[in-house]
Amino acid sequence: MKFVQDLVHRIKNVIVGTPPVTASAIREKFERFKQVLHCNQTALELIADMGEKLSGEYLFDRHYIETTFEELSETLLKCIHNLNALCDNRYTELYEVFDRIHDRLQLILQGREDRQGPPVILLREISKAEYTIVGGKALHLAKIIGDLELPVPDGFVITTKAYHDVIAYNGLNPKVDRLEGLLASPHASPEDIEALRKEVRQAISRIEPPPKLIEDIGLALGRLKNNTEGPLRLAVRSSAQEEDMDFSFAGQFDSVLNVEPAPEKVFSAYKTVVASLFGRYVIEYRRAVLEGEGQMSIAALCQIMVDGKSSGVLYTTDPLDPASDVMVVVANWGQGEAVVDGKMPTDTFRLSKKDRVKVIDKKVSKKEEGLFLSPKGGLEKRKIPEDLQDKPCLSDEQLIELGEMGIKLENYFKHPQDIEWAVGQDDDVLILQSRALLVKKDEVIDRSLLNLEEKYELISSGEGRTAQQGIGYGPVKIVKNIQELKDVPEGAVLVSPRDMSVFVQVMKKVSAIVTEVGTPVSHMSTICRELCVPCLVNVKGIMSKVHDGMEVTVDAEDRKIYKGKVGELLVYRSCQQMNVFESSDFRLLRRLLSEVSRLNLVDPLIEDFRIEKCETYHDILRFIHEKAVKELIDLGKDPKRLLQGLITKRLDLPIPAGILVVDLGGGISKDAPEDHCEFKHIVSIPFKALLHGMMTPGVWHTEVMEVSFRDVVTSMINAPTDAIDGQYSGHNIAIVTREYVNLSLRFGYHFNIVDAYCSDIPRDNHIYFRFLGGATDITKRSRRARLIGEILMSYDLNVKMKGDVVTARMTNMPREDMERVLEILGRLIGFTRQLDVHMDSDETVQRYLDAFLRGEYDVVCQ
Amino acid sequence: MIDKSDNPLRLIIIDDEPIVGKRLKQVFSKMGFQVEIFTNPISALEFMENNPFDIVVTDFKMEELDGMEILSRAKQLNPKARVIIITGYAKPETAKEAFKSGVFDFMVKPFRLDELKEAVSRAAKTQG
Repeated sequence: MKFVQDLVHRIKNVIVGTPPVTASAIREKFERFKQVLHCNQTALELIADMGEKLSGEYLFDRHYIETTFEELSETLLKCIHNLNALCDNRYTELYEVFDRIHDRLQLILQGREDRQGPPVILLREISKAEYTIVGGKALHLAKIIGDLELPVPDGFVITTKAYHDVIAYNGLNPKVDRLEGLLASPHASPEDIEALRKEVRQAISRIEPPPKLIEDIGLALGRLKNNTEGPLRLAVRSSAQEEDMDFSFAGQFDSVLNVEPAPEKVFSAYKTVVASLFGRYVIEYRRAVLEGEGQMSIAALCQIMVDGKSSGVLYTTDPLDPASDVMVVVANWGQGEAVVDGKMPTDTFRLSKKDRVKVIDKKVSKKEEGLFLSPKGGLEKRKIPEDLQDKPCLSDEQLIELGEMGIKLENYFKHPQDIEWAVGQDDDVLILQSRALLVKKDEVIDRSLLNLEEKYELISSGEGRTAQQGIGYGPVKIVKNIQELKDVPEGAVLVSPRDMSVFVQVMKKVSAIVTEVGTPVSHMSTICRELCVPCLVNVKGIMSKVHDGMEVTVDAEDRKIYKGKVGELLVYRSCQQMNVFESSDFRLLRRLLSEVSRLNLVDPLIEDFRIEKCETYHDILRFIHEKAVKELIDLGKDPKRLLQGLITKRLDLPIPAGILVVDLGGGISKDAPEDHCEFKHIVSIPFKALLHGMMTPGVWHTEVMEVSFRDVVTSMINAPTDAIDGQYSGHNIAIVTREYVNLSLRFGYHFNIVDAYCSDIPRDNHIYFRFLGGATDITKRSRRARLIGEILMSYDLNVKMKGDVVTARMTNMPREDMERVLEILGRLIGFTRQLDVHMDSDETVQRYLDAFLRGEYDVVCQ
Repeated sequence: MIDKSDNPLRLIIIDDEPIVGKRLKQVFSKMGFQVEIFTNPISALEFMENNPFDIVVTDFKMEELDGMEILSRAKQLNPKARVIIITGYAKPETAKEAFKSGVFDFMVKPFRLDELKEAVSRAAKTQG
C-alpha cells in the first residue's frame, strides 16, 4: 500500500498545475483526451511487451519482471488521473480498484498468492482468479468442464488456502518453512532433509481440522448430495500446485478412494493426501527435477466416485509411434486402478484418428479379476463373471465416443494427452483426469530434425514472427471473416489474412494459427499464448500458398511451414514435457501477466461495462479508454458548447450534407478561407476517409423518396422532439483534429454519429458508429437497422442492434484498415440515408446487402 | 552455416538456472551443435580443461564464479574459442571490460532467442 500512496503522490505532483477543465475549455479537454490515449498506449505496450516475452522466443529474468511491473503500475495510475481530469473526477473509485488489483499482483510477485481465496470450492464454480489455488489436476478438470463441456464427475476442491490454514492452525509453519528452506539450498545435506521430512510427515498425520474447514466441507458435501441421485461416495485425490501442469508427479501422491461423504471422513482422507506431499519420493523428485524451485502447497480434489463398469486410460498418441495417427486405449472391468497399476490383464484397443475416429485393432485378454468399490470403503478385488472375462470391456460406440473426446482434449491442450476415464453403470463415458502425455523422458534432441527441408516441401521459411511457439499439424482452413469461423474443423490449421481476436472462438480446437498480417503483441497473440496455440503472424504471402484442406505442419519455433505431415516434428512435440523448459521467472511472468492482461470487460456495447467489473489492469485500461471516448462523443452532442468561441467553418461539398466543421487543431488546411472550406482543405485523416466514402459516385441519392402518410405520423410520434426540424437543419457538426473526427449527422428523422481516432499507432485507433431513427414505421426502420448491422458485420465491426438502433465499434486496427472502414461507413451513410422507405419486406435486407457489397449503389433508384 | 556433418561444433552453456540451460540445449542441438550444459561454473571449467570446445555461452552473474572469469579461462585454454556473455543487469563498464577481454558478444536480457542464435551462428562462422 505504501508503494501505491507514494506513487499517487508522485504522479499527482506531476500533473497538478494544469488548471481544472471547464465546460468551455474544449481544446484542453481534447488535450487531456490525448494524454489518456498516450498513457493507455504506453501501458498496453508494456503489457504487450511482457506478453511477447512469453512466446518462448526470449530470455529474461526477475529483474525485468519487477521493473516492468512497476513501470506499468505507474503508467496505469497516470491514466486514471488523466481520465478523472478529463471527466471532472467522476471516476475516482478507480483508485480503489487499482489498489485492490495491485495488492493481489504483489502477492503473486512474492509467491504468496496460493494463500488467498476460499478454502473450499465446487469444481464447477472455479473461476479464473481461483486457478492458482486448486492445483493442477482440478484446474485441468475445471477447464475441461468450462471450455469443452465434456462429462466429468462433480466434486469440490479443498484449496491451497485451506492447506496453509491447516498448517498454521496446527502450529506447523516453523517446521514446514525449515524444510522448504533446506530444499531450496543447494548445500543442504540429504540426511538433514530426510530427518526433517519424516518429522513433518508424522506431525501431519496428527493434524486437527480448523472448525471452519469442517463446516465448509459439510456445505460442499450438502450441495453435491443435492445434485446426486443414489448413494454418494468420494474419491479424494491430490491436486498439487505443479502436478499435471508444468511437471508430472504421476503416481507420487496418495489417493483415498470410496470415502464416505461425512466431513470428518473427508478430512481424514485429506490428511493422507497432504502427508504425501512430504513423502520420500515426492521430496526426492522435488530436489532432483525441480531443483528445489519454489514452495509447494497442495490442494485436494474430492470427486464423486464413479462405480465403474469399466475404466482405463486413453493415450491420444501412440507412445511407441508418436508420428502415427493412432490412439491407444487400455481397459479393464471395474475401477481404473487395475489398469494403472499394471498388475491385471487388460484389453488394448487401437483407434485411428485420421478424418474420423475408427477402431482399427482390438487385443482382448482373459480378464479374470477386477477392482470394484467395497461396501466397507476402498476397493476390493473381485472375480469377473465368466461370460464377461473374454469380452471386450468397451463397445465400439463407447470407443469412438471416448476417442472423440480424446481428440478434443488433445486439440484443446495442444499436446498429446494421457487420459483416465470410466464408464459408469449407466454406460456413460466420463473423463476423470487428463494430463500431458510424455513419450520419453531423457533425450529430446534427435538428429533427424536436421535437414528436414531436404525431405519435405517448405511452404514458408523464416517468414513472420512467433506469437506462440509449438508444433501444429492439420488441414488448412482459410478464414477471411467472422462468419467463416463456424466452418473451422477440429484440428485444423487456421490461416487468415490478418489477426483477429475473435479467433478465440475456435482456439480450443485448432492445432495452429498462421496470419499473413499481424503482430506478436496483438490481442489475438496474447490469447494464443494463454491457450498455448502455436502461432505465426505476419507470414508474407501465406494466403496465396495454401488452400482449404491442404495438410501442413507448422513449426512455430523455427518459423517454418511444411507441406504435409512432418512426423519427425510430431515426435519431437510428443517428447517435450509440457513447459519443462520454462524457468521459474518464466512461470512467474506468465502468472503475473494472466492477472494483468485477462480481459473481463470485453464488449462495451453490452450494458455491464462498469467500474466494479474491473478485475485486472487490462480491464481498467479498457474502461478508461471507453469512458474517455464517451466523454468526447458527449462533447460532440452539444453544439452550443462547441460553437462558443471556436472557429467553425461551413463545409461546401458536392453533396448536400450541410456540415459545420470545428477544427481543434490540424484538421483543416491553413489555406482554407475564413468562413468555409471544401473537401480539398480537409486534412483530418478519419474525416477525409469518411467524406471520400460519402462522395463516392452513386452513393448519395438526392431524389425525394415517397413517404407514406402513416410513416410520417409514426416518425413524428417516435422521434425525439428536437429531431423534427426538417432536412439539413445546419446542425450537422464535425469536430476534427488531424487524427480525430466526431461527426454528428442528422438527416430528417435519423441520426448517424461517427467518432473515430485514426493514427499511425494501431492501439490508439477506434471507430464508434451509432445509427438510429427514421421517417417510416418501426418495421421498416428496423429492417434498415438490420441491413446496416449486416453490412457492418461483413466488414468485421463489432455490432449491436436493438430495434432501429445500431451501434458498432472497431479498435486496434492499422491506419490503412481504419481508413478503409471509414470510407465504407461514409458510403453506408449515403446509401442507407432514405432506404427505409423502400424496405417493405424482409427480403429487401438481403437484396440491399448484396447490392452494397457488390458496389451497386444505384439499386435504390431501380 | 552450421556443420551438419558428423563433426558438429562443440558448444558449452553455463547458467545457474538449470531450466535455461536445458532450453538452450534444445535450441542449439536442433541447430546441429554438440551441446554441454552446466549450472555450476566450476564444473564447466573442469570440463573445459579436459575436453575440446569451440563456443561458450555463459551467464554473467553466478555465485561461484562470474562470466568474466569464465571468459579469461576459456581464452587461455583455447584462444580461438568464442565466448558470449549474457546478463540481466547491464552496466556499460562491464560490457566495455568484457569487450576489452575479447568477448565475442555481450547480450543483455531480455533478448530474443533468435538474437542469441544469430550471435552463436556468427561465432560458428568465424570458427569455420
